[in-house]
Amino acid sequence: MNFLAPLGFAFAAALPVVVVFYLLKRKRVVRLVPSTLLWQRFLAESQASAPFQRLRHNWLLLLQLLLLSLVVLALARPYFTGQASTAALQVVVLDNSASMQTTDESPSRFEKARAEALQLVEGLNTRNGQQMILLVAGAGAEVKQSATSDKASLRRALQTASVTDTPSRLVEALRVAESLTQNNPQAEIHLFSDGAVMGLEEFEARDLRLTYHQVGVRAQNAGIVSLDVKASPEDPSKRAIFTSVANFSSTPLESTLELLLDGRLLEAKAATVGPTNTVPVVFVAQQASNGVFTVRLSATDDLSADNQASVVSLLPEPAQVLLVSKGNRFLEKALAASSPHIEVSKAADFADPAAKVDLVVLDDVIPSAWPSGNVLAIHVVQTNWFESPISAQENPAIVDWKNTHPLLRFVSFDSVQVAQSLAVKTPSWAVSLVDSPSSPLVIAGELGRQRIVWIGFDTLQSTWPLRISFPIFIANVVDWLNPASARADQFMVRAGDPFRFPLEGEVANARITSPDLTQTELELGPNTRELVFGGTRRQGTYNVVAGTNAFAFCVNLLDAQESNTQPRSSLNIGRFKEIQQTTSKPANLEYWRWFALAGVAVMMVEWWWFHRRTA
Amino acid sequence: MKTALLPPELLRRLEQIQLLAARRAKSTARGERRSRARGVSVEFADYRNYVVGDDLRHLDWNLFGRLDRLFLKLYEEERELPVRIFLDASESMNFGTPRKFDFARQVAAAMGYVALCGFDRVSFHVFPDPQAQDSQALIAYNQQMAVRGALRSVRGKKSAMQFFTNITALTSGGAADFNAALKRGALEARQTGVAVVLSDFLDPNGYEAGLTALVGRGFQVHAVQLLAPEELEPSAFGDLRLIDAETGAQQEVTFGKYRLKAYQQSVASFIQRLREYCQPRGIQFFSVSSATDLSDLLLKQLKESEVWS
Repeated sequence: MNFLAPLGFAFAAALPVVVVFYLLKRKRVVRLVPSTLLWQRFLAESQASAPFQRLRHNWLLLLQLLLLSLVVLALARPYFTGQASTAALQVVVLDNSASMQTTDESPSRFEKARAEALQLVEGLNTRNGQQMILLVAGAGAEVKQSATSDKASLRRALQTASVTDTPSRLVEALRVAESLTQNNPQAEIHLFSDGAVMGLEEFEARDLRLTYHQVGVRAQNAGIVSLDVKASPEDPSKRAIFTSVANFSSTPLESTLELLLDGRLLEAKAATVGPTNTVPVVFVAQQASNGVFTVRLSATDDLSADNQASVVSLLPEPAQVLLVSKGNRFLEKALAASSPHIEVSKAADFADPAAKVDLVVLDDVIPSAWPSGNVLAIHVVQTNWFESPISAQENPAIVDWKNTHPLLRFVSFDSVQVAQSLAVKTPSWAVSLVDSPSSPLVIAGELGRQRIVWIGFDTLQSTWPLRISFPIFIANVVDWLNPASARADQFMVRAGDPFRFPLEGEVANARITSPDLTQTELELGPNTRELVFGGTRRQGTYNVVAGTNAFAFCVNLLDAQESNTQPRSSLNIGRFKEIQQTTSKPANLEYWRWFALAGVAVMMVEWWWFHRRTA
Repeated sequence: MKTALLPPELLRRLEQIQLLAARRAKSTARGERRSRARGVSVEFADYRNYVVGDDLRHLDWNLFGRLDRLFLKLYEEERELPVRIFLDASESMNFGTPRKFDFARQVAAAMGYVALCGFDRVSFHVFPDPQAQDSQALIAYNQQMAVRGALRSVRGKKSAMQFFTNITALTSGGAADFNAALKRGALEARQTGVAVVLSDFLDPNGYEAGLTALVGRGFQVHAVQLLAPEELEPSAFGDLRLIDAETGAQQEVTFGKYRLKAYQQSVASFIQRLREYCQPRGIQFFSVSSATDLSDLLLKQLKESEVWS
């Protein structure tokens, strides 16, 4: 507690004066009585008022001293420095992502952040019309409470907020908060987070009055950051489970990694991970039927949400590949070697859209009919793929490629030259994988339900087929475009992302059982062709029964950024802005009114007491 | 008979009342009370052998006829019952509306009158003795002493008028020593009888020694405590300096209505202590306010307590 007017304490000099008054003799009414014998009981206390004698216990004196003390305190104008604010509108953004489950704060970062936010609610000056908005930000932003001065509603909204297993996508929440505050110079944003946030660099904030309340004290966490299942490269009849364990603490991690198939323990491996290192682990397992592989890390750390991940493993089905080409030996060989589970057939033209093929490779050939299935299109364009006109460019240099994309896994474009290429603009449905300075050279994406990989140049007009990256790329393409693998992919979603599943035929309703065994019933309309489920806030295996279909899908965190629970004391917002953590914010919330009110109350008690004694 | 002290109707009622004595009269003077002494009356008591010189009128001739021996018939001697009234005339009795002393005088007059009507001797012990500070006061002092002297021994109904006049002339004032006064009265008494103590009993030195002296001397004691209504329910509140009317001692108190109950409790416990002191010693105790109806006290309370019949 501080004081705006400490000079007010000078009035405390009146305190001894009150005591002196009590030491002085009081003026009394003289009464003649027959005898003082009957008054003996009341004589003892009168001794206190004898002049300058020992001061005895006297309630009136105490009450008056208390009253005076309260008045002096009120005059000194006390105020508290806390998390209170004078802003007319406060937008509270509460991070409820997975990293907020970390237990380095007691009981968890989320609870700590919630408690701090509650303090902010308590500091709200509703009489001055201060308002607050509450947003929770995990994978998306949710407005828990619109602008209100009602503390009870805000408290209730805070109490109902819960932590999730999703990664943080604070940008969306900050955008909402910015839009709520941008026309209000009296508004400010309070972010309660541990700073384990990605993508804030994309957020260009011009005038963001953001106060960052950081929670979390240490990074003592290890987690599973990737998981994939494929046919084993050595033995295609077996399944290889690729996973990696990251240790974000500053001490080495000795742990055991367990592999389970449908809840049955198959194998356990010791995993030793150095400080801030990531170690890949590969399991090879037999699989007789479709199932769910679960990898479990038995580490005692602060965050348990990332110690387990699951993946649905579908047994490979043979895929029919139709190569429509004028002749390309490199491509043919690469296709043939790409997977043991494909059958490649060749044709000069593609005329029957109803042909039963799983993917079509169009190699510099404009087909009579465009296939409706997945397509690898090389140097050929269907006009409705691109919004912009198509031109050509000579000797485009490869300047960048996106090696994080599954299609470019282990693929490098070093020393690949291209003689000529089509020049397009990346359409909205696709992402550019390989870029030249003026145009993308390879794009991939999903248009409707059709997966398309587009290569803008004739491979024979480049040095690429001579490079080792070419067959690897083709193998990746075949794997990505194979409808079976595409289907397997859709059974694993990141926490917070919606689960989508195309429905065949009419399904009236679907029942989804979450890992915590809560059931969600979805009513599906007669024309619904896709099941969409957004409640993927907790990681684990979800079981779906939709009509005659019964299957499982897995929700995983698998986010190295989120597993890295190192609390960040500053946030980089946009390219130039850095927000430092704030622990307290000075506020001039004065409390003299309360002291004055207490003084009035004490005065009334004192008055009542005095009159009870003497009236 | 007319007196300002007691209304005529009350006097008439009092004439029909007789003091009850628990013990036989021990007085030497003849009266109307039964005594252990043998003498002349109508109440037969015993026989004894005739010796020469006895009054022949008291011989039982019937016995002589039957037994041929002379027996003398003995009769109970009827003696008077001395009634001593101890009247507190200290300064503290001057308080109250009506004044405690006035009320005490009325009670004393009534009890005295009952005794006079019953041919009993009434002695007044008024304490403390009046003080004479100067020559002017000396006259009043002499008058007061004369009045008190006249009240020392009164007998017979015919003296009642003078008795009332003298009581009316009594004044009060000064500090009393209750115990000393009662002790002196007990020692002075040649014959015991009924002792009536009329006081407020508010003596800082207590009342125990005085009452014990009376009981020890053989008196049948009736103690009547008189308190003013203002003493039972004080009306002065606030920061007070209380001055004791008798001793002049000053005491400061802060008194409010909320403490009234505590005060009343302390008064009640004072009375209770006095009652508990009297009861085991056979002392009849009454505590009355000076605002009490006199006839109610005399004809009801005292009668019910068998002070008289």
